[in-house]
Amino acid sequence: MIFSQISDMINMGLVVLDKDLKVHFWNRWMAQHSGIDSEKIVGQSLFDFFPNLNEPKFLRNCRSVFAFGNFAFFSQKLHRYLFPLRPSYSDKEPFDYMQQSCTMGPIRDEDKSVRFIFLSVSDVTEVVKYEEQLLEMNRKDALTGIFNRRFFTQKLQEEFIRGRRHNRPLSLIMIDVDHFKQVNDNHGHQVGDEALKALSTRLLDRIRKTDILSRYGGEEFACLLPETNGPSALRLAEDLRRIVAEENWVCRGVSLQMTISIGIAEGHPEMADGEALLKKADDALYEAKAGRNRAILYD
Amino acid sequence: MAEIQFSGVEKDILQELMNIGFGQAAADLAQVIDLSIELSVPDIQLFKASELREHIGTEADSDQEFSLVEQYFLGKFKGIALLVFPAKAGKKLVSLFGLQDQSNKPSQHLELLEKEVMMEVGNILIGACVGKITELLNDVVIYSPPRVMIQDVRNSALPRNLFDPSSMAISMKTVFHFEQQEISGQLFLIANQESITWLKSALHAFMEQYQ
Repeated sequence: MIFSQISDMINMGLVVLDKDLKVHFWNRWMAQHSGIDSEKIVGQSLFDFFPNLNEPKFLRNCRSVFAFGNFAFFSQKLHRYLFPLRPSYSDKEPFDYMQQSCTMGPIRDEDKSVRFIFLSVSDVTEVVKYEEQLLEMNRKDALTGIFNRRFFTQKLQEEFIRGRRHNRPLSLIMIDVDHFKQVNDNHGHQVGDEALKALSTRLLDRIRKTDILSRYGGEEFACLLPETNGPSALRLAEDLRRIVAEENWVCRGVSLQMTISIGIAEGHPEMADGEALLKKADDALYEAKAGRNRAILYD
Repeated sequence: MAEIQFSGVEKDILQELMNIGFGQAAADLAQVIDLSIELSVPDIQLFKASELREHIGTEADSDQEFSLVEQYFLGKFKGIALLVFPAKAGKKLVSLFGLQDQSNKPSQHLELLEKEVMMEVGNILIGACVGKITELLNDVVIYSPPRVMIQDVRNSALPRNLFDPSSMAISMKTVFHFEQQEISGQLFLIANQESITWLKSALHAFMEQYQ
């Protein structure tokens, strides 16, 4: 009596399958979340109701548990879910289906042979949402919402290696806002912050989706341009420079004029790593800063 | 703790039992994963729990990078299973098992798939070998979820909650080989001292069936 109550009260799904993978038991949690009553599914093939499970991996693990009495673990990481169930809090969910962590294991009879297998289903939607938020925070700059330096550095190495392996061009531009300290000093940091946000948005509008724009430092931005050679990167940089210089910026009611200096470098196979490419762009930026409001390609 | 002695006869019985168990495991694995797999004659060794590193270091070919799958098994027979693959095996396993990505996240795609396939294959291989041995010895074990690590195997240590560093451990090693795709690796089943005491009596009980 107690056990049947537990299986119906417990806050997780419990399913028992026989050797033909017909449903032998379906707890109340499963009925509530799937909308399929126990009376309807017990005795029927699981695949009649969930054809998505009729695939090699699921079948392989069923065979394994029957043969060896081991456990099989279906993590959320790759599978996301076994049973397509609605999320518990259906409004504003980022997921179409409840994210699940599932375990399969043996149920034995008196002589210890495996007669049934059970599946336990845990709802991990909230945990996954939280995890994705943390991952996002780890990649993005809090002020501007574009990528942060950590993520940029990681992508730089990846793209550098990829470009070299496939012999594809890769360019990098470094952007520095001219005399930005004066904006902060004259109008306060709140206006300065607004200006950086507005600037990021404008830069983002001009580049491609595949380019990786990041806030590299205070008023310094770095942008990785895959599949782009030096001259094309220079054309883009010139465009960015002109767009910023021609804009009448209004931040928190304050009118501003901003200009940017840009250093550009193209990757070469003889460079040791992504850092070397960054160094070249930085050198070009240093040169551009000498005159301000300029874009210079390292050569 | 006292040294545990394992007599020559006991070692022979265990060797025989493992030959039977792993033989059945290989046969059933062919059905379960639809691939033929070869398991070598198991090698049994007793060593001090604190010396795992030396034990595995000498056993595993030490100059390459490894992927390691580890999983606890808990019953009267209790310990840790370590599956050692060359790091490059991940990609071959993905194609061997024809896994499909369902996550739609290309950046993490392959790495995740490789980890996933190593965990799944590891889980089944470990389950097969541990399951058959414990079945012959009339024990039932449960398992922790497998974990996969890409690292230098020699840096691994036995978990202290299962293995007192001063106690003895018993290791049963087999080399497995997927015949279709040149993939080989090593499987270590390492049981703690408590299990060794139980193992000795279970081995005698096992022999009595035949006497």
